[in-house]
Amino acid sequence: MAIPDLRVPLMGHCILLLCYVVFYIKVVTAGEHMLELLNVSKRYSGIPAVDNVSFRARPGEITGYLGANGSGKSNTMKMAAGLIEPDTGEVFFHGEPIHADLMTYRRQMGYVPEEPHLYAHLSGLEYLAMASQLRDLDRKSANQTIHGLLRLLGLHDDRDLSISSYSKGMRQKILLIAALMHNPGLVLLDEPFSGLDVGSALILRSLIQTLAARGKVVLFSSHELETVERVCSHVIILHKGRVVADDSIEHLRTLMSLPTLEDIFSQLAVEQDADAISTEIADLIHA
Amino acid sequence: MRSRWATRKRQFRTLYRIFLLRVVDLNLMSADADPAKLVTQFATMFATISLFIALPAMIGLMGGGRTTGTNGWTAEHFLIETSMTIVGLVAVLNWDAALPDRQDVLILAPLPVRNSTLLLAKIAALLAAPGLALVALNMFSGVLWPVGFRAGDGGILWLLRAWFAYWSTIVLAGSFMVFAILAVQGVIANLLPRQYFLRVSAFVQAALLCLLLSVYFLAPSLESPAALTAPENQRMLACLPSYWFFGLFQQLNGSMHPALAASAAHARIGFFVASGGATVSLLLAYFRMMPKIVEQSEIVPRRNAREWSLPLGNSLQTAMTLFTLRTLLRSRQHRMVMSFYLGIGLTIVVGYIDFLSGSGQPKSTGISAAFLLASMLLMILTLLAMRVVASIPVALRANWILRVTQVRPANHYRIALRFSFLVLGVIPVMLTIAFLLLIERYPWRPATGHLFILFTLGTLIVEICLYSFSKIPFTCSYLPGKARIHFVFWAVLMVFIRLLYEGALLEQTILQHLLSCGLGLVLLVCSILGMRRLNTLLSGSELRFEEEYPADLVSLNIRLTSPTG
Repeated sequence: MAIPDLRVPLMGHCILLLCYVVFYIKVVTAGEHMLELLNVSKRYSGIPAVDNVSFRARPGEITGYLGANGSGKSNTMKMAAGLIEPDTGEVFFHGEPIHADLMTYRRQMGYVPEEPHLYAHLSGLEYLAMASQLRDLDRKSANQTIHGLLRLLGLHDDRDLSISSYSKGMRQKILLIAALMHNPGLVLLDEPFSGLDVGSALILRSLIQTLAARGKVVLFSSHELETVERVCSHVIILHKGRVVADDSIEHLRTLMSLPTLEDIFSQLAVEQDADAISTEIADLIHA
Repeated sequence: MRSRWATRKRQFRTLYRIFLLRVVDLNLMSADADPAKLVTQFATMFATISLFIALPAMIGLMGGGRTTGTNGWTAEHFLIETSMTIVGLVAVLNWDAALPDRQDVLILAPLPVRNSTLLLAKIAALLAAPGLALVALNMFSGVLWPVGFRAGDGGILWLLRAWFAYWSTIVLAGSFMVFAILAVQGVIANLLPRQYFLRVSAFVQAALLCLLLSVYFLAPSLESPAALTAPENQRMLACLPSYWFFGLFQQLNGSMHPALAASAAHARIGFFVASGGATVSLLLAYFRMMPKIVEQSEIVPRRNAREWSLPLGNSLQTAMTLFTLRTLLRSRQHRMVMSFYLGIGLTIVVGYIDFLSGSGQPKSTGISAAFLLASMLLMILTLLAMRVVASIPVALRANWILRVTQVRPANHYRIALRFSFLVLGVIPVMLTIAFLLLIERYPWRPATGHLFILFTLGTLIVEICLYSFSKIPFTCSYLPGKARIHFVFWAVLMVFIRLLYEGALLEQTILQHLLSCGLGLVLLVCSILGMRRLNTLLSGSELRFEEEYPADLVSLNIRLTSPTG
């Protein structure tokens, strides 16, 4: 009896096994690197600012975080940044609660806050140098990165001017450099386009996409629905502290049979009738 | 429709309240802070001083006698001079409240508020702080001392006259100081472009502080008929406003020595010149500046040409030291407070040393006790002033960067903080003292011994300053009534100055023997290690950015709801 040639099916099995291992590694590693908020709540004087919020932001994806004023966006961002602790629930990164080892988490996180509050008595360069020293970055390479980023964002000539003389857009760029100079794995951007001119906004938009393409977790909160629609693959819509939508934009469009993100947002997170309110305002001031 | 007058009155009241609170920078305060408590705290401090000043008068009154002669004159002049100095200091510290700033104009200009209402509210708020200080400072002394100052037969009418004379003089003298400072401000504001005026203001403020303190502590005492009539003192009398108002008090009280007639006249002229000068120059400055405030930016920032990125220790130590240094050099508020404390301290040092050198202390072959005392005081005052200033925040909202970049445990920050105090406080004082020792050509052995002792003393003071200080300098919010460091500062200065002199005498002795010098150093090092151990045991694991009241009361977060809901 001739021995059947097992080489071909064996090779086939090996390739299949290899594909499975690669797929497993990709999925599991991706799961470990994602940012996850699980049943997170925050109350101020008994009033809920963020109420039982859960979502995931995955590497390679840009997660848009949308909501009206006072819906709890910035509070969620601050909790994700470890600046405030949730009353209940937990924030996970790499599958670990961030408060278990906040310092390791901070090393991997870059954060751009909603308002550009900076130490105005320092120059832009001094501020960034201080941030790099506090982050314990290597002096030489941090210096190179800071100067490079200042040059690319058009701030190099103004690097020695005091921040008190900077415009809002210039301050926003300093915040961006401070958030990115240590090559973080997680980027939290709270209204990053605020105050930026058109050119800088285009650069930032492209930068966010590049960062995601390089495997970083990007959580991005904004009021600019058009930008979110162009940039984000996945959106979370917050209304009165609660998540009312958590899906891809495409799927939301199909699900709600609405053509744009603005329509989806209006339906889910805007309670008032804009026309009626504007008429009421005009009537009130006329009276 | 409300009448125009009623509208203006209502606007005045609203603006007055806003400007009055502006005296305290609310942005620096903790969320729990109550600005009214800060005002009460200052008023209480002045009232306590008043009580202490009134004690000798109370003792004198219990003896039944009046305070007459040279003693009476010294007391009268001391009270007037102290009131003038304190009011002057408050007016200098209140400098920024005198003229409207960009924020005022941008918020108020679009509103239908007349410029004159704005100005009146600003002036009323401006005068309220020195007025409060003046009343609090004389709360007890202004009642008890005039009883002893009464002239004539000492009857009830003379008593009423003494009270009237005292309070009139105090109010006029205080007003003179405020008006004189406002006049200086008004003249500079008129002479210089606004941006230069803002830049120069900090230096003028510091100069005025030094001037007030130097005159208070170093001016000679001329409260005797012989000193008042001496021809060589006439020029001095004509230059010192406290003697003008001393003369005015005596004139109003009916107890005037003829030699003070000219001084009383100077007081009247001085008051009218200062008040007139302040009114005219401020009005001119006000109407000249108002349109320019919107058009021009505030202080034009300078390009920090030299890049200070030299490494000082590890990266955290470098960051903390440079941040502290830059804040001390560039923040006007911090520079002011630092120069205020250092100015008072240094003036007392100079005055004390002047007193010691005049009191015929035995000369020694080594370093003089006065020099040793001065160097120790300089070290203590510099470090305490740094500690006081470090607890005043610079920009609370910018603190988030320190939180998100905290990748090291809190004790690393404490080590870096200790390092920055040593680099910015101890080493500059050591270098100054070493330079002075070199100039004075003291023998090298005791000089080296003194430098070692001074360094260990400085390190010990740094450890004491860091007691329960789990913060990054200039980043924790301020809570009125919690930090008692200001009182500690004065307690240290007033109570231990005598003790330190004994310490200086002891050091003078031990510096002559190598063994005792070594023993002294060992004792100091042991104290440092003990204090450091205590700090390590008591320090928390977290850095503090928000000052909170101790949890004596626990809030239950119960909210009152309206009947409807």
